[in-house]
Amino acid sequence: MADRRITLEVFRYRPDGDGEATIQDYRVPYHEHWVVLDALNWIKDHADGTLSFRWSCRMGVCGSCGMMVNGEPRLTCAVFLKDYYPSPIRVEPLINFPVERDLVISMDDFLAKLQAVKPWLIRDDEEPPEGEYRQTPSQLAQYKQFSMCINCMLCYAACPEIDGIPDFLGPAAIALAHRYNLDSRDQGQSQRQEALGGEEAVWGCTFVGECTAVCPKNVDPAGAIQQAKVASTKDWYRHVLLPWGKR
Amino acid sequence: MAALFMPAFIVVTGLVVPFTTGGDADLDYERAHQVVTWWPVRIVLFVVVFLSLFHCAHRIRHILMDLGLRAVSTVLAVFCYSGAAAGTVAALFVLGTL
Amino acid sequence: MRGPLRRPFPRDWFVRKGAYRRFMVREMTSVFIGGYIVFLLVWLYRMGQGPEQYQALVEAMRHPLAVALHMLALAAAMYHSITWFNLTPAVMPLRIGEDRLPNVVVAITMGYLPWMAVSGAILWGVLR
Ligand code: SF4
Ligand code: FES
Repeated sequence: MADRRITLEVFRYRPDGDGEATIQDYRVPYHEHWVVLDALNWIKDHADGTLSFRWSCRMGVCGSCGMMVNGEPRLTCAVFLKDYYPSPIRVEPLINFPVERDLVISMDDFLAKLQAVKPWLIRDDEEPPEGEYRQTPSQLAQYKQFSMCINCMLCYAACPEIDGIPDFLGPAAIALAHRYNLDSRDQGQSQRQEALGGEEAVWGCTFVGECTAVCPKNVDPAGAIQQAKVASTKDWYRHVLLPWGKR
Repeated sequence: MAALFMPAFIVVTGLVVPFTTGGDADLDYERAHQVVTWWPVRIVLFVVVFLSLFHCAHRIRHILMDLGLRAVSTVLAVFCYSGAAAGTVAALFVLGTL
Repeated sequence: MRGPLRRPFPRDWFVRKGAYRRFMVREMTSVFIGGYIVFLLVWLYRMGQGPEQYQALVEAMRHPLAVALHMLALAAAMYHSITWFNLTPAVMPLRIGEDRLPNVVVAITMGYLPWMAVSGAILWGVLR
């Protein structure tokens, strides 16, 4: 009982070395209340200090500890060892992202995509009001779900379409754009439409729905994308049928 | 649209038309012809065919891309959407000349 | 120095996981629906050509193979409709004030009820 262990098969990659990416096995102490992130921290502290991975809050809030756990994108601070014990657990970096080192992926692309949808309140009138913009609870409810995203990128790692469309905005960025479009204080829908309308945005999505399935915050990015498709289609018909109208 | 209408259409053309008969083939034809040429029916048929064709073309194109033909996605686009457009024109012709 | 490593998504992803496989089946139904629409146009075309042509086609449609094809198309269309209506709550969420209506309610009011109504109307109009 005292010394139960579980094997972690960990993906290793060093950009400065010359070896290929490898899988390295570690025998880690098994505790019922440990999550995969605890096991990785144990490896770093006791077995192999060269292992690199990101984490911060350990409570599913910061979104930095996302990795592939047995092939599924998960927050490693929310996956218990006991759900796998005694089988080994394979830990790999999130797929669909370039690997910087070991379990650390590059998020530059992702951040650029978030920027591309202008995720801030856009107003026609520049002057902010006295005090604050007021909003009723039901206006808040319109977009609240889509504002819960923690940028963990699990949805990108679940999406089979991203790999084929490198510039695909992807689930979280589209959900974020939709969140601002639904905000009663925002007037920037037409400015976002260009980034949102094409094959590299909503029309690249085939509604596989796995982004929603893996999202730890119930953001439902797949739903957001379909709603954005509907909005984008309406926008298109409005353009074709009423070209003279204000968009 | 496809989702709402297709199952019933298929039941009608696949089961009702070939297997329920008033005994007189000419009378059956008359009745079918009468139903289909009623203008609201023609319009509904056209809208359903038009929307469903493009819906299918889009999805078929994406299936083929998923199955590994992403490199030729533009060719697929031309092929699928012009197929749907041709079908729409055909529907216009067929329904207009009934 | 090799720089960041690209790890492509597996090319055969659509057979790798239940959810992905179900997605593929759902999408494949559109092939049958597309095929059926072509048939529907032929049927209408024959009707436009007059009773003889039309009756020849109807005769051909009694062939077991034709019936089997129809049944296949029907199964595909049913699957397509059902999966689609189950997804409507995500596409068209309905709210009353702050609260989002439960998914089942949306699926029924926006999907299944109109489906029943449309199907009922078509069958009634034809069988009357
Ligand atoms: S939408 Fe969900 S899965 Fe995607 S980044 Fe945001 S929290 Fe993570
Ligand atoms: S460490 Fe913050 S979400 Fe896991």
